[in-house]
Amino acid sequence: MKTLITLVLSLILSLTMGIVKADSSLKANFVNGDPGIMSINSITFGPEGILFIGDSKAAQIIAIDLSAHQKVDNSKVKIDFLDKKIADMLGAAPDQVQITDMAVNPENDNIYISVHYGAGTPILLQVNNNKLKQISLADVSYSKTNINDPVAKDAKDKRGRELRKWAVADIRYDSGKVLLSGLSNKEFASTFRSIDFPFNDKQSYGSLEIYHAAHGQYETHAPIKTFMTTRIKGNPHIVAGYTCTPLVVLPMDKIKPGEHHKGRTVAELGNGNTPVDMIEIENEGNRYLLIANTNRPLMKMDFTDLEAYEDVLTTPVTKKGATAGVAYVNLPYVNVQQLDKLDNTFLMIQRESSGNLALKKGSAWWFQ
Amino acid sequence: MRNYSHILLISFFFALKVFSQTSPKVMVSKDYLLIKKSEITAGKPMVYRGEISNVEISSSTPILGNVVEEKERIRFNPVIPFGWNQKYTLVYDSTIEYFEITLPKKYKYLSVEAIYPSTKKLPSNLLKWYFKFSKPINQPSVYDNIRFTDTNGDTLDKVILPLNNVLISDNGLLLTVWVEPGRQKRGLIPNQQLGAVFEEGKEYSLIISKNLKDYEGIAMQQDYIHRFIIVDADREQPTINSWKISIPTPGTTSNLMIHFNEEPMDYGSTLSSIRIIDPQKKEIKGDLKLTNNEKTLVFKPLQPWKKGHYQISIDVSLEDLAGNNLNRLFDSDINDIQHGSPDTKEKFLEFVVQ
Repeated sequence: MKTLITLVLSLILSLTMGIVKADSSLKANFVNGDPGIMSINSITFGPEGILFIGDSKAAQIIAIDLSAHQKVDNSKVKIDFLDKKIADMLGAAPDQVQITDMAVNPENDNIYISVHYGAGTPILLQVNNNKLKQISLADVSYSKTNINDPVAKDAKDKRGRELRKWAVADIRYDSGKVLLSGLSNKEFASTFRSIDFPFNDKQSYGSLEIYHAAHGQYETHAPIKTFMTTRIKGNPHIVAGYTCTPLVVLPMDKIKPGEHHKGRTVAELGNGNTPVDMIEIENEGNRYLLIANTNRPLMKMDFTDLEAYEDVLTTPVTKKGATAGVAYVNLPYVNVQQLDKLDNTFLMIQRESSGNLALKKGSAWWFQ
Repeated sequence: MRNYSHILLISFFFALKVFSQTSPKVMVSKDYLLIKKSEITAGKPMVYRGEISNVEISSSTPILGNVVEEKERIRFNPVIPFGWNQKYTLVYDSTIEYFEITLPKKYKYLSVEAIYPSTKKLPSNLLKWYFKFSKPINQPSVYDNIRFTDTNGDTLDKVILPLNNVLISDNGLLLTVWVEPGRQKRGLIPNQQLGAVFEEGKEYSLIISKNLKDYEGIAMQQDYIHRFIIVDADREQPTINSWKISIPTPGTTSNLMIHFNEEPMDYGSTLSSIRIIDPQKKEIKGDLKLTNNEKTLVFKPLQPWKKGHYQISIDVSLEDLAGNNLNRLFDSDINDIQHGSPDTKEKFLEFVVQ
């Protein structure tokens, strides 16, 4: 009997240790306290309920453990007049409030919205039963790293550095890497960074050069507006969207420190437009790429088409307003400002034609 | 007398204007609201933006804040400080009171202190503007409040590249705005479709609207207007060999001056791209500033100059007003690109103090 108890206890202990070990592998160097977040420009979830925050003002990436938030049912999420409600919550006028990003924790369906007030005071909100609730960032379990300046000597130049700003445009996590795109006020160029997670001192940065078919003979150094990571034919890739609107793919293993990369332009999605967000939806083994835009509807691209397309667009699109490359369809959603996955469909913040800014789900029918 | 002392205290704390319904049992400042504990029998006080009637309360969203129970008072700390001249509704028990914190008479309004480039003649392929404000600005609506007009007063379309995250310095004072690069680069569709943003030979006005607010939500009092004339496009790289150096005197902290051959340079990239190196190859500490409509850089060292050979290090990403840097033109022809060596991050000029 004693042996049996010992055995059971050992089993429980080993299981518990196993859980702790599994849980702590990514959070081993997390500490409790105030991470000193000065702005929330972009957010994304990694595994184990870790929210990554791109903070341009403090030039840092913060990983926060939000795994303690209970699983929720957001299947019927719908909040109308989102901008007015957020302004009311802050006691401010709507023009003092900006929604900077939205992210869904895929492990428990919690929805988070990041907001800037006034001169950039950051606020993180959680959607709870169609109500908004503030998440305090003053005492959390976190880990963080500085965004190193790629031009190291700038760090010595105090006067210069205070002028130099690098604004995070988008952030994603994939397989132990936090990836960032952004634009500085110094040079109109695409800067792209890859930072190991758990954080250490190692950071890679580089630029992504593209041949912009719509743009004819002149080279472009345009910055990435939005991107995501995915698998193309099983291999990790970055899919990046640029203003005006080339879609570019690049194998992730090509991102190496200080190197200048040439992405493969696989589609031109029309001029006079800027992509604002992109996600991947998977349903019954089929994968789709969704792209939200400023001046075009929400686009749906089938991954089988993307994977089958092996060409690179190198010649200008001559027909005005025309598109080229991988085929896609327009879905009947315009002015989609934020996009993420929820259940087996998409969650969006959309400015409806009535003027109402709504947080709501898109129909899963589009992916059946 | 007690009520009078309250009023004094309230005046002292940020000049509160209390509406008629608000009792002296409530005290408000920008950062908190205090209610006498004896006034609340149950529940927590709630604050709403605007004047909300009794029937509207159930459908209204209360302001975020935390409630702290003190010895004799209940304290409500709003997450965002209460705004100036903003009406609020306070609800506790069955009482509804309205309040507003009036703007101090000596409030220093937001103003534009400097604008770069400051020169009145600008190349048609100008790429960036920098605005220096007197205090941190309200960032969410910044692009709605900057516009360009022609001599007819008509507002130009698609001039600015709107960014979700505005480029603003850490202190919130220096804003960088990109002129739509798609229109400024030759060969791009927006350029072909709409042409360059500005036409050569024409005069324009840059207007920063008086509606631009500061970080506390108070708008500028008057429009800021800057007129400029557009001249030929600049399609030449800056060449540092054409720069002239005014050499300082040894034993003094006199200015080292670098004249950019009468070409105005980009404000942000110039100040962050140039360093002065002493004979021991160490960077000299000092004050850098652009003068003469950004055509001259002035460096004043903290320590007196010593005799010897000095270097001026220039990062190759230093740009002129059209985004041309030391390595490339902003819109290089793809068949004709001659990238500088990737290892060449900086170029040097030399001078001797004697």
